[in-house]
Amino acid sequence: MKLHLKIKRFNPEIDKKPYWGEYDIEVDEMDRVLDALQEVKWTVDGTLALRRSCAHGICGSDAMRINGRNRLACKCLIKDEIKNGQITVEPILGLKVQKDMIVDMEPFFAHYRSVLPFLVNKDPLPENGRERLQTIADRERFDDTTKCILCACCTTSCPSFWARGEYVGPAAIVQAHRFIFDSRDQAAQERLEVLSEVDGVWRCRTVFNCTDACPRGIEVTKAIGEVKAALRTGIIA
Amino acid sequence: MLNGLVTTVREGARYKGESNQWMWIAHRISGLGVLLFLVTHISGMSFSYFNPKVHEALIEIYKTPLFSVGELFLAACLVFHAINGTRIALLELKPEWWSEQHKATRASLLITFVLGAPTLVIMAWKSLSFYLATGR
Repeated sequence: MKLHLKIKRFNPEIDKKPYWGEYDIEVDEMDRVLDALQEVKWTVDGTLALRRSCAHGICGSDAMRINGRNRLACKCLIKDEIKNGQITVEPILGLKVQKDMIVDMEPFFAHYRSVLPFLVNKDPLPENGRERLQTIADRERFDDTTKCILCACCTTSCPSFWARGEYVGPAAIVQAHRFIFDSRDQAAQERLEVLSEVDGVWRCRTVFNCTDACPRGIEVTKAIGEVKAALRTGIIA
Repeated sequence: MLNGLVTTVREGARYKGESNQWMWIAHRISGLGVLLFLVTHISGMSFSYFNPKVHEALIEIYKTPLFSVGELFLAACLVFHAINGTRIALLELKPEWWSEQHKATRASLLITFVLGAPTLVIMAWKSLSFYLATGR
């Protein structure tokens, strides 16, 4: 089938402002949007810049706005996205565009690092030297937020983040949630202190764009609500 | 900061979020409407103490069709902002209700309509009666 692909192009070294690149290519309806972008890059215009690594929805490299909504290009089939023979692709919002679909992810990862996204446990290791055990229920408590692949779909769909890049954003809060509610962790209070600051969790306006955008199906707004509840009540349960 | 504001205003309308994205935009606009009213009201009322003549002149200006239409807009903003704000507060208090978000959105729109429509009709009727009676 024929596909008209509209891509927001921008090379800050050459272009004064972004423009729409338009490409007509032949695709299979079961191809993914990523396949269409690669077709353009490999056969039509080699200057098109985009990130992709695993191309199977695990590495989170190819987050972009597809038909106006944040999605992973490798998880969207052409048949599901095509409208009137056309698909529109733009870079994610709120992060500086370096070239075409490639944005500067450093501010995003700085927010990620700010919530201490690692297990903190100062107790001595178990005598057998193996893992710190927890119950199935304790593991289940934070199971949903372990699925995050740091693609930035949620954070860059958030109007609060567009308005203020200093806001830690949904992805960092999801990562904090993963450790705050882990029964083996001992740094919940330090994370909650970071998240109670002016650019912490209270900038969330419960818009639900993050939940809609997450390619892993994480209940992002619910996780943020649980962190807010922990801050409000002081109870981590 | 300015870049962020421009991005939010320009792209907020372009981003294809679900119904709650539009509820957020409407909540912001209605919030600005309420804020505009509060500023006008408080500054106007303060003249009753500092300069009563200005206050009386303002009251006469308020009795014009433009301000009557503005009052209808304000009433709509107030009802929507209050009901939608309650929806947001409830979802924040009960994160586990997140899966009911679309139902909550529809319910808040319905309640806004049920409460707002009669209010606006009564207000519009009163204003119309006033202008017909006074010939303004």
